[in-house]
Amino acid sequence: MADRLLRRRWIGCALVVALALLATLASRPVVPGLDEVMLWQVELPRATVALLAGAALGLSGALLQRVLRNPIADASTLGIASGAQLALTVALAYAPALLGAGREVVALTGGTAAAAVVLALGWRRGLDPVTVVLSGMMISLLAGALSATLVLARGDYVLSLFIWGAGALDQQDWSSARTLGIRLLLGLAASAVIVRPLILLGLDDAGSRSLGLRLLATRLAATAIAVWLAATVTAEVGIIAFVGLAAPAFAGFMGARTTRQILFAAPLAGALILSFTDSVVQLGGWQGRDLAPTGAATALLGGPLLLLLLSRVPAGGPHRHPAAALAPRRLRRPWLGLGLLGLGTLLAMAATLCIGRSAEGWHVATGGPFMELLPLRWPRLVAAGSAGMMLATAGLILQRMTGNPMASPEVLGVSAGSGVGLAVLLLAGGASGPWLLAGMVAGALAVLGLMLAITARSGLGPERLLLAGVACGALCMAILSVVLSSGGMAAYSLLVWMSGSTNRVGAFEALTALGGTLVLVVPAWLLTRWLSVLPLGPDASRSVGIPVRRARLALALLAAALTAMASFAVGPLSLIGLMAPHLARLAGFARAREQLAAALLIGALLLIVADWLARLVVFPYQMPTGLFAALIGVPYLIWLLNRTGERRSR
Amino acid sequence: MKADGGIGRRALLAAAAVLPFGAAAGAKAAMRAATLDWAVLETLLALGHPPVAATELVQFREVAVEPPMPDSVADLGLRGLPNLETLLFARPDIIFNSNFYVALEPRLAAIAPVESFTLYRPGHSPYDPVIAMTRRVAERLGIGDAADALVGRTDAGFAQARRRLEGLGRPVLPINLGDARHFRVFGFDSMIGETLQRIGLQNAWAEATSYSAAAPLGLETLARHGEAWIAVIGPVPPDATPVLRRSAFWQALPAVKAGRVVWLDPIDPFGALPSARRFARLLTEALVEARGRG
Repeated sequence: MADRLLRRRWIGCALVVALALLATLASRPVVPGLDEVMLWQVELPRATVALLAGAALGLSGALLQRVLRNPIADASTLGIASGAQLALTVALAYAPALLGAGREVVALTGGTAAAAVVLALGWRRGLDPVTVVLSGMMISLLAGALSATLVLARGDYVLSLFIWGAGALDQQDWSSARTLGIRLLLGLAASAVIVRPLILLGLDDAGSRSLGLRLLATRLAATAIAVWLAATVTAEVGIIAFVGLAAPAFAGFMGARTTRQILFAAPLAGALILSFTDSVVQLGGWQGRDLAPTGAATALLGGPLLLLLLSRVPAGGPHRHPAAALAPRRLRRPWLGLGLLGLGTLLAMAATLCIGRSAEGWHVATGGPFMELLPLRWPRLVAAGSAGMMLATAGLILQRMTGNPMASPEVLGVSAGSGVGLAVLLLAGGASGPWLLAGMVAGALAVLGLMLAITARSGLGPERLLLAGVACGALCMAILSVVLSSGGMAAYSLLVWMSGSTNRVGAFEALTALGGTLVLVVPAWLLTRWLSVLPLGPDASRSVGIPVRRARLALALLAAALTAMASFAVGPLSLIGLMAPHLARLAGFARAREQLAAALLIGALLLIVADWLARLVVFPYQMPTGLFAALIGVPYLIWLLNRTGERRSR
Repeated sequence: MKADGGIGRRALLAAAAVLPFGAAAGAKAAMRAATLDWAVLETLLALGHPPVAATELVQFREVAVEPPMPDSVADLGLRGLPNLETLLFARPDIIFNSNFYVALEPRLAAIAPVESFTLYRPGHSPYDPVIAMTRRVAERLGIGDAADALVGRTDAGFAQARRRLEGLGRPVLPINLGDARHFRVFGFDSMIGETLQRIGLQNAWAEATSYSAAAPLGLETLARHGEAWIAVIGPVPPDATPVLRRSAFWQALPAVKAGRVVWLDPIDPFGALPSARRFARLLTEALVEARGRG
């Protein structure tokens, strides 16, 4: 009975997708004399590639989610797509001869390298899901920042990366379809081999170990297949956002329950999703031009789809992330630590204002030159410091509120939302400072409002909030990449903003950022009691008299405003929001108020130093500030994670 | 052969134009100009008045190629992220800007007076704005005659190209390849499109330019322009050529079958008069040669 209903659902979906595909083929442009070539070498390969790539991504996502036991894990969380993109950018910029050997090989190397780094980082902790995803997001952000820098640095030469970033399915022969088809078949076969151990992985670590399962080997094998599939897809057609995330969820909605069912329903779901998206993009286009790059459109469709599905996902039990495993020993004298941090920040500020570089070399500015340089340097300093503090606060709020160590302004979708606000105002015609700020705050609040509306019914549980944030963020990024690929002035301004530099910041912007910091950080300081109790769970919080829903709402609003303000000053440097609270906690600042104070100082220090180095390292060329924040912060965070691991293993 | 002689002579003339001016500069305390925009940069160079500072010189030498750039020009770094401290120490008397970098204007104005131009706007021809910019820049620098000479040289270059291309019945589709599957095309609202019209050729692309650094059009769009010459403007991505050679679709295109594809050296597609003249010259040479072969 139920089976028949489910089969009917699948058949219905397949019919809709097939009809859309037929409509696309029927409405293909008429080109006298080339009609046959158009059909056989352009349209049909494209339709095939859409199905195959969707299936490969669906399988890849299902495997990764199974292995990492994380419903929002997919190829992008492991940094595969960003790694591949970075490898391509580097090859294009510094060793174009490498690309002669094949774009695909280069992309595959990059994707595999990124995944390998992420796995190596998680190795010591037995590929613990949280560590792996945390490292993956770090590497992904780093690779993305490096790619964006190179795009800016190389100008027109990396023209192709724009397409690549947005994932387009255009074909002129069968080579991609052939490659993808072979890899998909091999991937399915390999998955069939490891499906039994994978089922056992569903049990918790201790349970599966006691069953004599070779835990690590199974995880590695499944991850390798997933990485391989995702890298191939990225290499052939670019980044196709969200299919790897949406397909397993869609499969679940369609009735797939067991591991075996999901592993084989997810590829089917992925194929249907990508094919349908590609048809819509082509049908909605005109003059042979697609409505949007397919890769961006999957996120446009996939984001809302996942948000809808969210309400149907059964609420899990009191599932606790093993994040607590990362907590190190407390500092005995936290206020001494804070004093040292403050001293360091002051020293960094002085260095930033005095030490610079010119065509003649390094110099320490004093007297006349100092006064002349001051109007250029102090706004950057203030803006960077303020943004660091605001992002650190936002990150701390989100991590404590959701009890999820991966939460950050970017995961919440707020950074991207403020970017959409900016894009709208830029497209509406040049607007100036205050208007752009208003637009960004509006964008951030719109994203947050949408998220709250969707998750309100379930009482805003941590997992739901996170998942809704990821979906909203992807939706916003999709809108941004459509704007980016449409080109023009707005796209250019947006790219500069996304690369996150304080170069544009003047006295007004700097003081606005500082004012915003003061106004917004003080309430966070006063709400630290909520922040210390909320991670204990809703029941514990209620028992000590905290209005859980209202508290979460207020904190979420505060985080959104903080993120929008920070983004306005220095672009979407959300890496700080992820790192600063982490670093504070790992350094031993355990109580909410101590952690907030330390995170504020660390955030400010990181961004100030990053901004300073960004100005100096490749002089006279300047790097985006966000990139340098990542270059400083990521190695430190990784070192700390490993240090913690060592102590635990003893 | 004749064309080669022409380049040499023009280069010599340009060099000769720079030298006496450099000598006079000390005496007259010439205006120190700086610019963030490449179209203004090449105009300044062609006017014989190199700026004291400009952006992305490494890339400019590769993509725009000419006019030659003296080593005295300070590199400000990325166009989107110019190094303001370097700009300050270059001590410009005036900064020429364009609408693309307008967000930076308050920062620039604190260093020196800014004069901004809007050259490229989707749907609008850049030709008249470029001429106006050329004259305005020369006027601000007190070298109005040099602008007349530059406009004259450009017109002469167009006229020569028109003569050599007479009787080329087919339209031309000017494109940049993004990779082996995507390209961007230049319409009436670009200097490339304007140049085509001025050297007596029809642009096969009747619509607006696909602006931006993105190449949003799938190669299959080319199927619609079977009658045209395809002019591929460099730089060409290194991996595009081998893929195109294998592509069944590319090989089936009428223009490719009939050998009506010309590959041009790099040209700054969003430049000013010097780029327009370079495009006219390179295209003419390539088309005349291809026609001779066919």
